[in-house]
Amino acid sequence: MTEEAEIILIFSSNTKILNAEDLLEEMSLPITLVPVPKEVNPNCGLAISFAESQKEKIMTVLLAADLKPSVAYRRQGQDFSVWAFEPSIN
Amino acid sequence: MIYLDNGATSFPKPPEVIKAINDALAAPASPGRSGHAAALNASRTIHRARKSVARLFGLPDNSRLAFTSNVTWSLNLALNGLGLKTGDHVLSSALEHNSTARPLARFQKEIQIDWEVVPPGPAGLMLAEDFQVRLRPETRLVVLNHASNVTGALAPAKAIKEAIGTIPLLLDTAQTAGSLPMDDYGQWADLIAFTGHKGLLGPTGTGGLWIREGLDFRPLAVGGSGSRSESLVHPDFLPDALEPGTANTHGLAGLAAGVEFLLNVGLDKVREHEMGLTQYFLENIVNIPGLSIIGPGPGVASRVATVSVVLEGWSSSDLAASLEKGYGIMIRSGLHCAPLTHQFVGTFPGGASRFSIGYFNTLEDVQTAARALAELAAHTGHRG
Repeated sequence: MTEEAEIILIFSSNTKILNAEDLLEEMSLPITLVPVPKEVNPNCGLAISFAESQKEKIMTVLLAADLKPSVAYRRQGQDFSVWAFEPSIN
Repeated sequence: MIYLDNGATSFPKPPEVIKAINDALAAPASPGRSGHAAALNASRTIHRARKSVARLFGLPDNSRLAFTSNVTWSLNLALNGLGLKTGDHVLSSALEHNSTARPLARFQKEIQIDWEVVPPGPAGLMLAEDFQVRLRPETRLVVLNHASNVTGALAPAKAIKEAIGTIPLLLDTAQTAGSLPMDDYGQWADLIAFTGHKGLLGPTGTGGLWIREGLDFRPLAVGGSGSRSESLVHPDFLPDALEPGTANTHGLAGLAAGVEFLLNVGLDKVREHEMGLTQYFLENIVNIPGLSIIGPGPGVASRVATVSVVLEGWSSSDLAASLEKGYGIMIRSGLHCAPLTHQFVGTFPGGASRFSIGYFNTLEDVQTAARALAELAAHTGHRG
């Protein structure tokens, strides 16, 4: 069985991450704070990680609060890909 | 001991503050630098302080609040960061502390800014129209000590902001934060500088600066921020831009607890208590022969709980020493790092004796202080 993919959100500052953590905890949405994966990003700060199945609920809450990640990744095992978290404007 | 020097540093601190600092000291702490549980907890401790201060001032965006080591650093960050240039006109109140007066004097000498001091109006109170009439096309900044640390006069900050329009107002809340409700200030203020160890009931070594969105600034110091480590360019986003180096997690744990204590009590209750004691004190000293109150007297609402006096025949330091020796009352004498204020109120260079009341003072404290002043005044004739 394949492990569920996770989404990793990177923000411009830890303060934004901690604000996001507070907000998502209030909504009982399960996330974990993790170090930014060095495989994809040299930033030495924190990132928000959650199961892919939660992505719609979590992104709706974050974007409504103007907490927009600077970049997001989808991780499946050791494979990372950039994840476009916003619907395209076409 | 009766402690009436809360304008310098508040005492006592609530037990919650002491516990929070102890708890933080007992934990590993390197906020924003690693991803392990201890580092995360340290980051959350600082975030708690950021949220509580943001609530206190009603700040729309807590990420634009940077922590510093005290209000002097906050004011210097602001004054150095706004990019003042030769010929810029800067207005300040006459009741400034050296924390703004010295940086402004230096800018005046070194880069020839045009610093104009706005004198106080009747009863030593600053008036909004006195700022408005001095505005010029080249006015870049207005600097305002929210309340004088000498006279206790409270400036009408919101009215002054309305009078100066889009010109940024740098508000020094050293003597007001934690002593009166300020939960709408984030809606109209431009730059709010505060310290943690006075009215906010936190430890020394804590303070901060909030900058509204849209104001350009340049950091005074750059370095490790825990963000964008791959780049030799310091981050330009707040709060990281203004928080180089490892933060004072232990102190900020205490600051968070102090602010939360005040928010739980209610700033209106704090204000009511401090003003009740202040008015009582003023009413009971106003008729002491030979005693002059420097600044707003009894019945003036536009003040904070700081009362300075001059007693005929006494130097400010002798009076302070006698109050401590005879009554165990601790006050502060001298110029209070505010020579400009003392010049305007006519007490330069001898200074005055300052009683600054805090949330934990009692009616008995101020009764004893008033009685002590009356007794010392009655003995003036026996001196030298």
